Amino acid sequence: MPTDEEHVHHFKEEGGFEMDISMKRESIDDPFTEIPPAEKMIIFLRQHIGRETEPLVKKGDPVRYGQKIGDIENGGPMVVPVHSPVNGTVKAIKKLRHPISQELEKAFIIHTEDHGTDPFYEPMNFMGNSREELIDRVREAGIVGLGGASFPTHLKLSEEKKISHLIINAKESDPNLACDVRLMMEKGQEMIQGIKLMGKMLKVDNILFATRTKKGEVPGFEKLLKKNGIQISRIRPNYSVGSERLLVKEVLDREVPSKGFPPSVGAVVHNVATAYAVSKAVLDGESLVSRGLTLYSKETGGKNLWVRMGTPIEHVLNRCRTTGKKFERIAIGSIMMGPTIPNASYPVMKATSGITAFTRSEPSPYKKQKPCIRCGYCNTVCPVDIYPVLIMEAEKRDDRKMIKKYHAEDCIDCGLCSYVCPSYIKLTPHLRKASFIASKDG
Amino acid sequence: MGEERSKLDMEDPPHVHIGLGKNELMLKTFLMMCIIAFASVIVMGLDALIHILLAIGTVLIVHSSIYSYQLWKGIEPTYKSPASPLVAGMIVGLAMPIAAPFEVTVGVALLTILVFKYGQGRYFKRKYLNPAAASKVLLLLLLSIKTLNEGLIFHTHHLELNLMTAEGLQNSMWIFSRETLPIIGTELSPAQSLFLWQTHGWIGGASSLVVLVVGAISAYWLRYKWRIIVSTLVTMTVLAAGTGLYLGGDPILRIAFHVFTGSVIFLIFFMATEPQSTPLTENSQYVFGISLAVLTFALQLLNVLGGSIIALVILNMATPYLDKIGIKTPYGHKGSKGGA
Repeated sequence: MPTDEEHVHHFKEEGGFEMDISMKRESIDDPFTEIPPAEKMIIFLRQHIGRETEPLVKKGDPVRYGQKIGDIENGGPMVVPVHSPVNGTVKAIKKLRHPISQELEKAFIIHTEDHGTDPFYEPMNFMGNSREELIDRVREAGIVGLGGASFPTHLKLSEEKKISHLIINAKESDPNLACDVRLMMEKGQEMIQGIKLMGKMLKVDNILFATRTKKGEVPGFEKLLKKNGIQISRIRPNYSVGSERLLVKEVLDREVPSKGFPPSVGAVVHNVATAYAVSKAVLDGESLVSRGLTLYSKETGGKNLWVRMGTPIEHVLNRCRTTGKKFERIAIGSIMMGPTIPNASYPVMKATSGITAFTRSEPSPYKKQKPCIRCGYCNTVCPVDIYPVLIMEAEKRDDRKMIKKYHAEDCIDCGLCSYVCPSYIKLTPHLRKASFIASKDG
Repeated sequence: MGEERSKLDMEDPPHVHIGLGKNELMLKTFLMMCIIAFASVIVMGLDALIHILLAIGTVLIVHSSIYSYQLWKGIEPTYKSPASPLVAGMIVGLAMPIAAPFEVTVGVALLTILVFKYGQGRYFKRKYLNPAAASKVLLLLLLSIKTLNEGLIFHTHHLELNLMTAEGLQNSMWIFSRETLPIIGTELSPAQSLFLWQTHGWIGGASSLVVLVVGAISAYWLRYKWRIIVSTLVTMTVLAAGTGLYLGGDPILRIAFHVFTGSVIFLIFFMATEPQSTPLTENSQYVFGISLAVLTFALQLLNVLGGSIIALVILNMATPYLDKIGIKTPYGHKGSKGGA
């Protein structure tokens, strides 16, 4: 990768705590490798925040690459359809354990017949289509936020409030992910088109591209941004600044109110990979059926892969000459916020930005848990200024008054408090429970 | 799904850790205090070494016995690593006055490990009191039951001092005069002696300069509660300077005496920052530090030199209440009333 500057090697968090990003550094120079689809693809009917969709095809039906196979007619704005990632046949629709919710949810089992990738939809014209038509295409193509939250993108693009700034989140702050930077290097032109389309849909003139990369680290893409009048906002190399609410503060110095969203302060934040997906949906007629992700393990090293949704993780590992049986834990998405899966047959989904597999010689450090020593590292490092250990104690004794007093509902679930805890206490699950209690109690 | 597949461990995020655990933290603290111990032995001589070794040895023997007993009984050991007991032993050694009888050091070390480390942790599930400070206070109280002179067994002369006047302070400085820096041969003024080379008082405070340097490096490296250090140091300095200006006399000497006596300078860095017995919230740490300085200063003026441990124990007891105040306003509430 051509660069004339030294890369960032650590993220520096509040209080001077350093986060090792060697996984990211090991992956960043690896170009995307396309993983062919598996013989049996597993597509969950819900891959977004919101209601589960209903099947539009039944067992035995043939399906085409990119064809809509799950949706709810008039299901409301929080519903995003799912599509077939292959040309094939629906073999079954059954309830399986969802990798994120851990609940039993409906999934299609599709037998792959060929690897064709002809777009299902007609390409649209950048200038010739109205804002509403473009937003409708984004929904129809099943696009959700690809940073990990899976929030319906069409909903964020149809914001009716006056928006002053569109912020493109290219922070990719998770220490195990490099796929967004790779996308900037390899698909820059399409990404720029996606960003401009988003700007058009939001009727925004000010577009800020927020990145932690140093000047010269992605030179080609920087030139493209400049050429298209998109301003680069270089932000601090901290992990948690990648969070949407904190990014708005970092870039615009506007504080998103508690329980509020960025549009309340005139900003909309979209992930950089989402911009690419929007470009493909509108200009090429491509449904969101594949994405870039970073695989990291000591067995494979860091790899950037282009994978179709529904591909079992075991298949991805096999293509990288390894198997899930060699690992003790496999985390999906961010290693700071993402869940683990109980076995490697779970599929890649729209939110799967990463797969991190830990060998048996890398047991969870949190197995060494000790009593809290009240060192205060957790509150020193907390990016939203709450007190994780005090909230944990209140949650353990079900003290709802103190849970509210300590503002548990403002936790952004970043995991930094657990990451720095010298007693190896996983505070995050307690904070999540407390946050739920605080939000429920209003 | 996939029942034939091998099962993986299920874990909540995050899946990685910074790598600095409690044992590493304790061992690094111990190593830093070894530098102070080394300086103290150079300044105060062999007696200082004996005090330190007696304290560490006592603590380690008790810890090893309890550890072996717990293993024998099949109980999960309270401390799997000797790192934390090692630190406790070192603090006891460095917090003893050089004039203390050796058996007192052993007594404080025993109380520290048995009552205030193992006992307190077991019965309260948390250490509310700094083990070394609480042990020393308890032992001195027990010794004081007979007469105060017994309680001040190793510094009865303190009762005769008069720190409320400029002359009184000057006259009290005999103990820090006539110190000469070896090799160089320079005779030190009392203020210089308090800063560089003390053969009187706490072993850990033999050289305030060493404590300042090592303490500052440790606080930065190991992320001690620096607000306590800063607020205590600043408040003590302001109080000393103010008193000096009000009562007359040499303000530098006043500051040197109140800030750089071993019981203050060593305690500020290595005892007042003990995590479990001090506040979590940032503003409360300032309150803690300022209160510690005010109480210590008042006790010093009342001739209770070394009274910083009494002040520390009192503030340790206030910590659970201090934690309820001074809560920062979280992100998202700054525009509103917010906070707690």
